[in-house]
Amino acid sequence: MEELRKSFHEELDEIQTGIVRMAALVTESVPRATESLLESNLELAQQLITDDDELDYLSVHLEERCHQVLALQSPMAGDLRALSTALRLNAELERSGDLAVNIAKATRRIYGTRYDATLRGLLVRMSEEACRLVRLAIDSYVDRNAGLAAALDDIDDQLDGLNRDCVQAVFQAHNDGAIDLQAAVQLCLISRYYERIGDHAVNIGERVVYMVTGWLPEHTGSARLKIRERQHLDETDEETGED
Amino acid sequence: MIVALVVVAAVVGLALVGAVAWREHRHFVDAEESRRRDDEMHRRHEDEVAESEARLWLSLDAITQGVVMADDEGNVLYRNSYARQFTEARHGEALVEAAVAELLAEAAQGRAVEREVELFGPPRRCMFVSAMPLTLEGRDYGSVALIDDITEPQRLDAMRRDFVANISHELRTPMGALSLLAETLAGERDPEVASRLAMRVQAEAIRLSDIMDDLLELSRIESDESSEREPIAIQHVISDALSRAKPSAEEKEVPIETVLPALDLVVHADRRQLTSAVFNLLDNAVKYSEAARPVKVTTRLEGDWVEVEVRDQGYGIPLGHQERIFERFYQVDRSRERTDGGVGLGLAIVRHVANNHGGEVRVESTEGEGSSFTLALLVGAQP
Repeated sequence: MEELRKSFHEELDEIQTGIVRMAALVTESVPRATESLLESNLELAQQLITDDDELDYLSVHLEERCHQVLALQSPMAGDLRALSTALRLNAELERSGDLAVNIAKATRRIYGTRYDATLRGLLVRMSEEACRLVRLAIDSYVDRNAGLAAALDDIDDQLDGLNRDCVQAVFQAHNDGAIDLQAAVQLCLISRYYERIGDHAVNIGERVVYMVTGWLPEHTGSARLKIRERQHLDETDEETGED
Repeated sequence: MIVALVVVAAVVGLALVGAVAWREHRHFVDAEESRRRDDEMHRRHEDEVAESEARLWLSLDAITQGVVMADDEGNVLYRNSYARQFTEARHGEALVEAAVAELLAEAAQGRAVEREVELFGPPRRCMFVSAMPLTLEGRDYGSVALIDDITEPQRLDAMRRDFVANISHELRTPMGALSLLAETLAGERDPEVASRLAMRVQAEAIRLSDIMDDLLELSRIESDESSEREPIAIQHVISDALSRAKPSAEEKEVPIETVLPALDLVVHADRRQLTSAVFNLLDNAVKYSEAARPVKVTTRLEGDWVEVEVRDQGYGIPLGHQERIFERFYQVDRSRERTDGGVGLGLAIVRHVANNHGGEVRVESTEGEGSSFTLALLVGAQP
């Protein structure tokens, strides 16, 4: 039995290693996508699109492995939460990788566009900030640091602010005639992709809080709904009583 | 008589028994001695093996290359300390560990394999991972993977390649222009046009001469020959550099603001080299700033360091180029080189001056917001 539990915890460790590896692929693909965009490097963009297959492969295998462990080991409490968290993190990271691929694809659509220094600076900062958030999210996961995980929502405000600045700079560049409409639309979408990568990091943080404490932000909303339903039932009973 | 015989027999018997007992005792003692000697030899042998192993592991830990050994199924048996940093990695470096595991599994099949893992970081790194099977006289001993950081060799290689390409380009451009202008001038009869062409010839010749001057200056600073160190107040150096940079700043309408400490900050340096370094920082800041965007020069004391910071609100430097701007002839944007007049030697001069004086030069920059270069020298130091 002890041997079985040991192998189970080794499985959990290997699943965690898989998550860390997926996150590493994401944090490497985001600056790669930014460089392909700013340097109009189509070869790098294509490489990135091809390399995303590895992330998909890892994601599929990790999911299968989690399901296998769930089916065979029937984990409980903290172990069950660790597995369900790994499943959610897997999806969040896979989607973040897709967003980096979207940036690479947009590079091809607006090939040849020259960006002014302000826009380039904002795009670089968004890329760095998105990566920083993913790294912090993974640190909180590996260290089981619920405090850091919960703080990610506030840390993400900076990326949200940069997104607003970037969209404003795109409008300005379009108004000045520096970029055409197609490029402006694509650049706004690219800005949004970075911002979404940050949102996925925040989601990872929420699931880490759940893994460590068993609490989710949605629990508060769910509790409120139950209270409202109970109040409604009480009121209905009172009205029926009066009749 | 019988009694005597019995006594003799008893004595002989006792003597025989004693002899047998003695012989057995000797055997026992000899066996014990032999066992003790064997144990001692075994222990000494074990100590020697342990000592030799410790020496081997310590040596492996001392090398700046990752070594990972695996059994014939690819299961890791040992990692040296350099390789262990990747096992605990949770960001980009985790991909190196993944590459090691994959290559070891392939090497276990009897194939020597290798792969480059490029990490965008920051900092940007390139790791070379190779794995090969370990066999001796037909016997399989598992496999070994080696991890090399090839970032620096790759950077130096790129630098060498670019230097040759850039110096050819820098010299060929004015030479080509001179040749064309001279050809046109030879066939020109209109004196007004001829005069204009002659002025262009002169401008190109000055450009060529400037490049040669910069190259000679850099070469002199690199070799650090005829360097005369003396205690000088940094304020005087700033003042000299400002007067050299003033004409181009006025021409471009870029104001230069200075913040100087009240007390003299003395450094032990070559005044000419230091002035050249500060001038190049100022010249660059002016060159890459738009009109009315001020350049600020701040001099301060930070602990034991005298820092001269030149901050501009110019175009800024893309992150990917920041590591390379101190290379000779390196240009962030070649399309701006002709209009702004730089050939890419200024920052190479600054870095060499900093190195010659045991100091350093740092850069912080954001595209669209500007750049800040800081030259730091030890206060009063005599390197």
